[in-house]
Amino acid sequence: MRSIPILLIALAAPLGAAEVPRFEADVLPVLYRHCFSCHSEKQAKPKGGLRFDSAEGLAHAAVIAPGKPDESELLQRVSLPPTHEDVMPPLKGGAQPLSDAERSVLRAWIAAGAKLDGWVKFQHREAPLDAPVAALARAAVPELARQVDALIDGHHRAKGTTRNAPASDEVFLRRVYLDVAGRIPSLEESTRFLADSRDDRRARLVDALLAGEGYVSHTYNWKADQLRLNPRALAGGQPAWLYDDWVKDVIRAGRPHDETVRQLITAKGYLWENGAAGFYLRDLGMPLDHASNLSRVFLGTRMECAQCHDHPLEPVTQKDFFQMAAFTAGVSNLSSPSGYSNDNVEQWPEIKALLARMDADKALQDGVSRAISPLKRLTTDNDKPLSFPATYVYDAAARGRPVSPRTLFGDEALIVDGDRRRAFAEWMTSPRNPRFAKNAANRLWKRVMGAGLIEPVDSLTALTPPEHRELLDFLTSALIGFRFDERAFLAVLLNTRLYQSEAVRERPEPGAPFGLHGPLLRRLSAEQIWDSHLVLLVPDLDERKSAMRHEGSLLNPARLRRLTAMTADEIIARSRDEMAYRARRREHTLRLAEQKKALAAAQAGGNTAEARRLRAAHAQENENFFSPELQALEMGGAEPAPETDPRWQSLPREFVRASEIPLPLPLGHFLRQFGQSDRREIDAFNRDPNTTHALALMNGELAARVLAPDSPLRRQLASADGRRDRLTALIYRALLVRSPSDGELSTIAALTATSLTPVEDTVWALLNSPEFLFQR
Amino acid sequence: MKSIPTDLSRRAFVERFVKTCLGVSLLPGLGALRGAGAPPRARAKSVIFLYLRGGLSHIDTFDPKPGRPEMGGVRAIGTTADGVQVSEWFPRMARQMHHVSLVRSMTSTQGIHELGAYSAHTSHFMTPTIRHPALGSWVVKLLGSENRLLPGNVLINGSPQHPGSGYFPAHLAPLPIVDPGAGLQNSVRPTAVSEADFNRRAALARALGSHFVQQTPHRDAAAYLKIQQEAATLMKSEDLKVFDITREDAATQAAYGAHTFGKGCLLARRLVEAGVRFIEVEDDQNWDTHNDQLKSMRLMTPSVDQTMAALLEDLHRRGLLASTLVVMATEFGRTPQLNTVTAGRGHHPGVFTWWLAGGGAKGGYVHGQSDAIGEHVAENPVTMPDLNATIAFALGLDIGHIEHSPSGRPFTVADKGQPVTALFA
Repeated sequence: MRSIPILLIALAAPLGAAEVPRFEADVLPVLYRHCFSCHSEKQAKPKGGLRFDSAEGLAHAAVIAPGKPDESELLQRVSLPPTHEDVMPPLKGGAQPLSDAERSVLRAWIAAGAKLDGWVKFQHREAPLDAPVAALARAAVPELARQVDALIDGHHRAKGTTRNAPASDEVFLRRVYLDVAGRIPSLEESTRFLADSRDDRRARLVDALLAGEGYVSHTYNWKADQLRLNPRALAGGQPAWLYDDWVKDVIRAGRPHDETVRQLITAKGYLWENGAAGFYLRDLGMPLDHASNLSRVFLGTRMECAQCHDHPLEPVTQKDFFQMAAFTAGVSNLSSPSGYSNDNVEQWPEIKALLARMDADKALQDGVSRAISPLKRLTTDNDKPLSFPATYVYDAAARGRPVSPRTLFGDEALIVDGDRRRAFAEWMTSPRNPRFAKNAANRLWKRVMGAGLIEPVDSLTALTPPEHRELLDFLTSALIGFRFDERAFLAVLLNTRLYQSEAVRERPEPGAPFGLHGPLLRRLSAEQIWDSHLVLLVPDLDERKSAMRHEGSLLNPARLRRLTAMTADEIIARSRDEMAYRARRREHTLRLAEQKKALAAAQAGGNTAEARRLRAAHAQENENFFSPELQALEMGGAEPAPETDPRWQSLPREFVRASEIPLPLPLGHFLRQFGQSDRREIDAFNRDPNTTHALALMNGELAARVLAPDSPLRRQLASADGRRDRLTALIYRALLVRSPSDGELSTIAALTATSLTPVEDTVWALLNSPEFLFQR
Repeated sequence: MKSIPTDLSRRAFVERFVKTCLGVSLLPGLGALRGAGAPPRARAKSVIFLYLRGGLSHIDTFDPKPGRPEMGGVRAIGTTADGVQVSEWFPRMARQMHHVSLVRSMTSTQGIHELGAYSAHTSHFMTPTIRHPALGSWVVKLLGSENRLLPGNVLINGSPQHPGSGYFPAHLAPLPIVDPGAGLQNSVRPTAVSEADFNRRAALARALGSHFVQQTPHRDAAAYLKIQQEAATLMKSEDLKVFDITREDAATQAAYGAHTFGKGCLLARRLVEAGVRFIEVEDDQNWDTHNDQLKSMRLMTPSVDQTMAALLEDLHRRGLLASTLVVMATEFGRTPQLNTVTAGRGHHPGVFTWWLAGGGAKGGYVHGQSDAIGEHVAENPVTMPDLNATIAFALGLDIGHIEHSPSGRPFTVADKGQPVTALFA
């Protein structure tokens, strides 16, 4: 969800009267955006036989009368009222009419003679990046930050605009914690930084935060939204958290972005051997959706419209899409066979033969099937090529015929030894790919600046908008130079004067390009709000991990590894054990239910002795059930282990960073209320205000715990010097990471003059101030 | 919609509109449309919009194709409406079909969940430059709420991607109820906080918050301050009891079902009684059945069948059905052919089914048809904007009324959709 829907695509800026539009810089983007999806060489049959993507095509179309705008059919047709049947472009499929600015560009260009300045034709197939980029060391960060600022200064000089005033240490401090660690700083962290008088304190903080566990947590949320990490969406019986953990490990180890994407695209094996296999398990049975999502996230290119027909708004055809999808479509988990075979379960032929010899009944067959169901999901390649759909309208002869994989832009991908995915991954992550690094650079920029240099971030096309081209090209080279080290790249951005300027506090106009005045003020994400509350409640928050799911659990990877090594006999024996276990479990659950009913009745009847006896019986029942033999089966549910760390013993188990809380969350969870993505789709979060947010902040559990007399914050305040204004200043530093103004001090003094609880009042009020929810 | 010049007199506009939409100059059944300025005859006061996310298969539900191999052996059963059959997985809805108008000729071009759901809710294609308001926000914008304190627009178990109020102000966004069993979360002051404490703190929060808002033109900053006041007012309201479904007797609760969708629909009925205009309830199941179609349907259909039938029955018994329009929607249908590999069905926007009941809609009626296997529209295609215009029509909204986005672009409630007036008696 785009809470700040800004579009930076070059909607040709209004031109001064004296300026004559240049064809390639000003006119071509208008034609590309509004005409090429029907009138270019990309279509099997361009509409009306007209092609506007070459000088020859334009001349042949004869829709332009140089020097005579009003006699040019091109301008006439795009100037008709939207209801007119001859209006261009036809307003369907989401097509938009030309803006007045775009029309005046065409008019001025035609009036000045419609010169093409030597342009011959448009290259739909974007060229690869040719210039090799020298490797950059982390030590280059300060110099690169200076160069980025120099480009930004140049932009402002040309536009007659300026960067915002430098941000104070306090503003920088809160901002950089939120952007890098995903939470506000703790009171100690703030105090430590604000007491640091070294000249390079900001650069040092950036480095420290990028190296910290908070960065892993926040970056995980960011990537999880893009990769749609939702355990529920993984195929049944799979230990989906292994994929989540794989992503966290990648971030923690600082593995480069290109390597990570290569591992995802070429992932093979069982999930418990290779967490990256989750990339394919996530989209079981949906090879086409998988391909279009992959293209959005890694190439910044939206192709999903072309799954069913030629793209209505871009010169991208259904054939283009199918050729790209053909690289990954043959992964077994994307076109999932619903039955067992020796392809996915090695022991299957033996098991089948054995069951037949035993004349096994349906119950045993089902039991075996259930026991080996995790094995069914082996990620591997099959031989079935992707075929054009039966509904393919552009070439009837192609229907049902195999699609040859082909990349959409840049280099061709050479398939060696039939390994399509390897070829695709190499092409995708090559520094020569014109969109891979650019997409990553633009998304990382957005992460810290609030909006991409190109917006939406998944609107990269063969025609780069001119507005910030130079800056984005520079950043793209930097990312390649750093060999896709995201931390080094972020360090550059965070050390720029732009990042360290006052925020832009207005909501930018939709469609307006990023002004480069400063980062955008924006509401915190649901995860940032949750994590920032927990900073006030949980000491050493980033170190606390979820008590998870592993040991003794059905999802134990060690148990699944053993399963892969079992013989057919052993698997059948194991299946019998599991069946016996389930039968016992059912009886056990029934007895527990009966005991609970009896206990409720005893309590209602005031029979305390009986209630005590029943509680003891209940405990005994549980103890009996979880016998050592049963535990050895490793079937038990995933009970969280009790907290043993003294720092956190008094805290609920679920008070951990949002990144540590497994999805799906219960309906009423704070994170869901504040719009955390359910990760069914890419970046499906929501940051719009709603009444329920105010209710949660006023009456919810988190606020109550922060206010409780024994909360870490209250203890810190209690140990401080008791003068009112000093206490208030501490509260401001802890919650808003700044000092109160004189006006605020007097407001607080006036409104709490008769209060017996001025400290609680102030904490409550600041937690409920919109300022707490925004990054500025 | 620039197609409606603002200087056109209203009457002339209405006449032109009727011509374009019905192909005749003035239809007898639309008498109310003729009166200058008078809204069309409205029967519905409230709408309950049931959303089945993921793309509900039409041929496995309300548009069965008896005996066709595409059905995979699933039978069709007769219903209380003459000549109308539904799939065997909807035995309870079969007994409610005399209340229902099926629209079996829904069609769309949006075969991606996100895009289809967006169109279903807003009547617009998703574009990067603007977020359109969902229908519920239009309804409260144009009709207001019947209840002074409760928001007129409620979303139960909604997805985070719901378009909400789009470019309309935040107060028109639906009030989300995440867990209908828990009522309106956090609406009760903690016992440790006295009313005097609460009022003093709220006043302080307002005063300090306005320091920030004054320096921050971003509209969401001011919205948070406003929301806080609304929330405080709501907390003191008697109407909060409406959100507590445990006030219903056990038999009613059981009839709707203990699952989220059941609780949500029961809450929706209570909200209708309290005068809430537009309530959307999303099923908590994912109907995106790419794998094992028949098995998935067998697992998922009983709960929706139970709940939807219970809702219609309950509204009818309470005399609310005549003034409450119930709509079942989804983003697209599913391919008639079962995938030979996955045994599931793919996305299929070409034809699918939505239905309406109550609010003046005909009962036991079928509008439009799909072809023999449910692959294409055979007769009377209806688009999502058309269906949304139909809902607006039932509520008596002026579908030609123009609202401008902040950038000055003109929009109407259902874009270019035209109401399917044949659905109304």
